[in-house]
Amino acid sequence: MVNYIVRRLLLLPLVVLGVTFLLFFLTQRLSPEMRASLYVKDPRQMGSLEEVIRQYGLRDNVFKQYGRWLSNVAKGDLGYSPSANMPVSQAIKEYLPATIQLAFITILFVVLFGVWFGCASAVHKDKWQDVLARLVSVGGFSLPIFVLGLLLLMVFYGRLGWFPPGGYSVQTDIIIHGGAFKTYTGFLLLDSLLNGNLRVFWDVLSHLVLPAVTLCIGSFALMVRVMRSSMLEELNKDYVRTARAKGLSDWQVVYKHAGKNAVIPVITLASIQFIRLLGGTVIVETIFDYPGIGRFGVIAAQQLDIAGILGFSLMVAVLFVLGNLLSDILYTAVDPRIRLE
Amino acid sequence: MTQSAEPILQVRDLKIDFSADQGILPVLRGLSYSLPKGRVLGVVGESGSGKTVHALSILRLLPPAARISGGEILYKGKNLASMGEEELRSVRGDKISMIFQDPSASLNPVLTVGEQLTETLLAHRKLSKRQARREAVALLEKVGISEAEKRLDEYPFQFSGGMCQRVMIAMALALSPDVLIADEPTTALDVTIQAQILALIKQLQRQSGMSAVFITHNLAVVSGIADDVLVLYAGLCMELAPAAQLFENPLHPYTQGLLSSLASVHKKEDVLPVITGHPPVPGQILTGCPFAPRCPHAFDKCRQECPPLFEEAGRQTRCWLREGK
Repeated sequence: MVNYIVRRLLLLPLVVLGVTFLLFFLTQRLSPEMRASLYVKDPRQMGSLEEVIRQYGLRDNVFKQYGRWLSNVAKGDLGYSPSANMPVSQAIKEYLPATIQLAFITILFVVLFGVWFGCASAVHKDKWQDVLARLVSVGGFSLPIFVLGLLLLMVFYGRLGWFPPGGYSVQTDIIIHGGAFKTYTGFLLLDSLLNGNLRVFWDVLSHLVLPAVTLCIGSFALMVRVMRSSMLEELNKDYVRTARAKGLSDWQVVYKHAGKNAVIPVITLASIQFIRLLGGTVIVETIFDYPGIGRFGVIAAQQLDIAGILGFSLMVAVLFVLGNLLSDILYTAVDPRIRLE
Repeated sequence: MTQSAEPILQVRDLKIDFSADQGILPVLRGLSYSLPKGRVLGVVGESGSGKTVHALSILRLLPPAARISGGEILYKGKNLASMGEEELRSVRGDKISMIFQDPSASLNPVLTVGEQLTETLLAHRKLSKRQARREAVALLEKVGISEAEKRLDEYPFQFSGGMCQRVMIAMALALSPDVLIADEPTTALDVTIQAQILALIKQLQRQSGMSAVFITHNLAVVSGIADDVLVLYAGLCMELAPAAQLFENPLHPYTQGLLSSLASVHKKEDVLPVITGHPPVPGQILTGCPFAPRCPHAFDKCRQECPPLFEEAGRQTRCWLREGK
């Protein structure tokens, strides 16, 4: 097990190298002037472009430039992001917790409701519960998230005013950036509880609802399907018959016996979806103006903020590898037949 | 057949249908027998004869497509076929238990053997977890599994097929049931393991004095364990007789065919005799005796009218040749 984890972690630098080099190579398609221009704010100082190019060696060979970036990364310096107006590492530290928070709430919805609907659908196959779950699932598949996001925003913010967009309200902003509010984890939901400030907690939570609902719809539809077919398959297996023959209650037969087997594919799916959410909340964060890492990535890309783009991709690659590792470890927890060697 | 005691299990005119694309297919067409306390009934038949469906129907474990369409299954006078779910659950595993054909698939792959054993105990008895565990250790030892304490925490995939069947037997006998239903318990095992498992079932059955319904396609297996034998063909009982008499003097031509096709070390034959033809497809509409197309003694009446069971000297035979004897 430890062996396996170490070996997987050794793979991490390779993945990161591959992803970042590819991106770095692509950014070289932009002329050195274009890459330098972002760092020169004042149009009257355009003359200093050449100076920036020389200072950062933007005309050097790709490999030399990449090597330089890499050695900086090794020292913990991801560069400065002009689009976020702060160092890339600081931007990640600031925006990533908000996205993790969003992704976590989303995946929680997806797993809880997906497993529940999927189970109900399988247990009551061809009854109304099943029909309903299948309808919801088809609907979830066919509804693009930008349409759903805008619809939700229109109804629940525009009409009803229940759930506002953005990350938190102005009042909350004042509180959390005031001296009294301590930052423990960077996750506002947790920090507000640790500070004992329920107002901030509710505020942050209410801002999370719409993006989370929008995000979960696609994954939820998939989860219902996977859970349903997995459950149907397990319910037909011999050991379920044995469980019934032993005189166990329906609940035990369905949830303890079939359920524990049926949930195995769900775990992989959930961890893949979770990682996907971490790097892929771009559209939703943009629609809801949510201050997460996805929005940071989009703005960086729009403004050709190369340091920002590279930092964002580096982070996504690392998360991907770690997330997959986590899902492998989770596997062994549910399925005793799997041993990580 | 000595039937002095009140039968513990009684099947009366049991009919089971399968709903398929072609419509409703009868797979069991009126089966009756009674099982006295302490006796073992061997049910023998080819694939499709309805023997497994019959086994599953006793505890109402039939697949959704199958349905009991008539008759009664009486356990101590109470009809299992029409019993409420809650009452049925108290019978399952406690009063009547079952072991299956494929032991490795019949155990849950993600629960430990100990968990699966103790949950059976806990489902029917008020025991603490520790008591249940101690009981489970004793049960594993009883079925010949060494290092029982350690093996309780292992998973079924760490057991061989024979060992899994031992676990299944331990589970089935956990609560000293009145009746054990064994549905081809040795079919999926190696021949040497088969013999061990059979010996174990027999020994435990004698010890506890429970009754058993032993379903198999293998007459040789039945000869070692059963007191009475019921031969099933196309969903009908062809012959029901005490084992010794049936093997010595089979009355039905089908039973005769089955017996003569058994390989024996005492007979020196180059070619084993076989019963020619195929058994009817389940649900096929039959006029006359279902065995008539393959029967060497068939005459006109056999093809026109299905014979009833003729009783003689404590045996039942479904054959026109036995009419009036």
